[in-house]
Amino acid sequence: MSRHHGPDRSLRHAVRLARVLLSSQYALMLEFRAEIVLWALSGVLPLIMLGLWSGTGVASIPGFTPQRLVHYFLAAFVVRQFTIVWVIHAFEEDALQGRLSPALLQPLNPFWRYLAAHVSEQATRLPFVLAIVALVALVHPAALWWPTPAGLLLALLATHLAFLVRFVIQSALTMLCFWSERAAALERLLLIPYLFLSGLVAPLEAFPEPMRSFALNTPFPWMVWFPAQLLSGGTVPVARGFGVLAAWGLLFLPIAVLLWRAGLRRYSAMGA
Amino acid sequence: MPIIRAEGLSKTYRVADKQPGLLGTLRHFVARRSRDVPAVSEVSFAIEPGEIVGFLGPNGAGKTTTLKMLSGLIHPSAGTVEVAGCVPFRRQGRFLRQISLVMGQKQQLIWDLPPLDSLRVNAAVYGIEDAEAHRRIQELADMLELGDELTRPVRKLSLGERMKAELLAALLHRPAVLFLDEPTLGLDVNAQARVRRFLADINRRTGTTVLLTSHYMGDITALCPRVLLIHQGHLFFDGRLDALTERLTPCREVRLELAEPQPAAAFAPFGALESLEGRRVRLLIPQEQLTGAVARLLAMFAVLDLEVSEPPIEELIGRLFQQGVVG
Amino acid sequence: MARPAPELLRYLRTLRRFWAASLAAELEYQANFVLELLAVSANLAGSLFTLSLFYGHGHDLGGWSWDAALVVLGLYTLLDGLTTTLLQPNLSTIVTHVRTGTLDFVLLKPIDSQFWLSARTFSPWGLPGLAAGAVLVVVAAVRAGARPDALHLVAAALLLVASALILYSLWFVLAATSIWFVKVWNATEVLRSALVAGRYPVSAYPAGLRLFFTVVLPVAFLTTVPAEAILGRASPLWVVSSLLVAAVALLISRWFWGFALRFYTSASS
Repeated sequence: MSRHHGPDRSLRHAVRLARVLLSSQYALMLEFRAEIVLWALSGVLPLIMLGLWSGTGVASIPGFTPQRLVHYFLAAFVVRQFTIVWVIHAFEEDALQGRLSPALLQPLNPFWRYLAAHVSEQATRLPFVLAIVALVALVHPAALWWPTPAGLLLALLATHLAFLVRFVIQSALTMLCFWSERAAALERLLLIPYLFLSGLVAPLEAFPEPMRSFALNTPFPWMVWFPAQLLSGGTVPVARGFGVLAAWGLLFLPIAVLLWRAGLRRYSAMGA
Repeated sequence: MPIIRAEGLSKTYRVADKQPGLLGTLRHFVARRSRDVPAVSEVSFAIEPGEIVGFLGPNGAGKTTTLKMLSGLIHPSAGTVEVAGCVPFRRQGRFLRQISLVMGQKQQLIWDLPPLDSLRVNAAVYGIEDAEAHRRIQELADMLELGDELTRPVRKLSLGERMKAELLAALLHRPAVLFLDEPTLGLDVNAQARVRRFLADINRRTGTTVLLTSHYMGDITALCPRVLLIHQGHLFFDGRLDALTERLTPCREVRLELAEPQPAAAFAPFGALESLEGRRVRLLIPQEQLTGAVARLLAMFAVLDLEVSEPPIEELIGRLFQQGVVG
Repeated sequence: MARPAPELLRYLRTLRRFWAASLAAELEYQANFVLELLAVSANLAGSLFTLSLFYGHGHDLGGWSWDAALVVLGLYTLLDGLTTTLLQPNLSTIVTHVRTGTLDFVLLKPIDSQFWLSARTFSPWGLPGLAAGAVLVVVAAVRAGARPDALHLVAAALLLVASALILYSLWFVLAATSIWFVKVWNATEVLRSALVAGRYPVSAYPAGLRLFFTVVLPVAFLTTVPAEAILGRASPLWVVSSLLVAAVALLISRWFWGFALRFYTSASS
């Protein structure tokens, strides 16, 4: 136990912490598996939209065949499942139940715990998402496809990055809980453009021109449409996609940190 | 004619057996195993109108289950129960208008609004005219020493003020029977005393029958001439509080201060030695031998001080439940 | 003859007290009004935009004209407002009641517990949605050239009530399952997300989904069928089956609550 291996020790500590956090959160999430199935089911929007699009206007989307459309919406469904973020609700609940103060006494920023909870929840969700995809394949064998290894890898990366960016943005919003009881309502408001612009209701190729450029300048399509296209083998500007996601993440990370510090000051000033 | 009558009242819960851990979870998922756990067995008693009766027993003894069967929230597994001439679990309007339930851990008042708003809702629900409701609120508020607390949001009230407002809400419709489950839980000594005083008051003024469970023996000794003691689902005792003390320990505690220290063996002929610290001795002596024993003690030893007392009831009951004397 | 009237009056008086109290509680959060207004406008704009994607290239949805499809969207907005005003705030409290054990207090009140749980609170924040939906329905119907006669108007009104009752029953049954599964709140999220399908006429879906949305999850009766009536093309068969579905759904919700309560009162501790 030499004291000279500081960096090595802190790395070991971090690995151990991550392992413990993830395994305990996974056990917790398993307790809520029924809930998580329901959550997974509540992401059916892309499948409903698939129904609508396949009935009509496929021909009007440039570069889409009926089969490509099935692949796209199925991919969007999967991507959405693994980019769901609920940190603001968890935080609000914890603050309301008085669990925040004890958490602040631990030598670990509570957001690491929330992050571990999200990752664990995704792991719990995985089998159910696979089951739903299998079900679709059973009904509709042509709906399945094999993504290229490169496409799969990029899609995986993009999905995780999209999740992280959403997590960071929502965390920044979460910090407003320190000032307002209505921070979660703001998140609900932000979810509306996400819903319509992210590509959940239609691939961006279906958007008319000024709208499409506008949407691409928001972070939303890069969180669903971009990974979904990568996964389903569509053409997307890969470098731009990763660049945009990274930029939004890097923009909001310092905002979240600053708001966290200011929020804590306010919290402790008010006597918790 | 009794206002509450229970005969052979029993309740059995079916609980799922689940082993801890992932494997246990999976096994439970595939093949559910459950077993029946008796919560209350064969309990019978009768309570006359106007009585205040305390329900005693350790956690999980079946107090709350019994209370819930009496108030109609739980269907008994066996036996009959009749409260105010009705069968509780049918929850007919006639029955519900005659009873009320106060729970120390739960509240019926609307959190974000002043108690007065909740009271207005209750008045409408119970079909009480506004003028009459106003009069009753005034009267009860006076008894409870509630003033502008009634117009402050519930979330801004202290625990004691909240409990008083809960009591007001529970009594607005003038129930004939009031059930209380741990009404003084978490209250400070002053607030506890005020709640007790109020309950005694309301019982005296209106003849409301009161049935209460409490962890605080103080509530029971102050309020309840009669207690029902439940242990492991069985009714172990039904009678006057002092008779319970008698039955639990037909012993008295004798404290001695001696001029000279004595060996422990010297006290063996008198009774059970509880403690011996130098010149201070505590002995438990059976009631019927008390006089003789004290005389002999005084004769044998140089006694500086002697004190005879009843062991405190909390201690007796606590010891009783620990030893599991009751079978 | 004298008995039902006071009973009814008592329920009405209770309802008035319920809503007055919840209005008083809600009005402490005025910022909600702005937020809800924004949410309703943004949702409407998004829905219109999505709809325009289908119609933009000269296609239509299941044979419905743009204006006719807007009537469906308007009805959806109306029902969504109803959900925000009554269904969601009330039925989410069922879950809280079960979790905290305060359902006991409700059960001990001399009033129908389903009535209490369904009407206890009233959130004014759904009113912008209700208003926006109503305006959209009327404007779109006029633009679609609907000339409904009195009979059709009566049918439309009946069908609207029926669709509200179906929606209510669906919510209530789901919320009632919280007696068994305390964390059921997500189930209503599933319902809400599946009901999004009601934004569009049901004939726009492929045959399998159409069947699903008619028989299993009666989305068709929520928006499409009343819209047909408003547009003056209701068929008696649909009107009758809609009313039937509503009646059955309501009865099921009533029966299911009784069943759930029997379970609650024999199992709770």
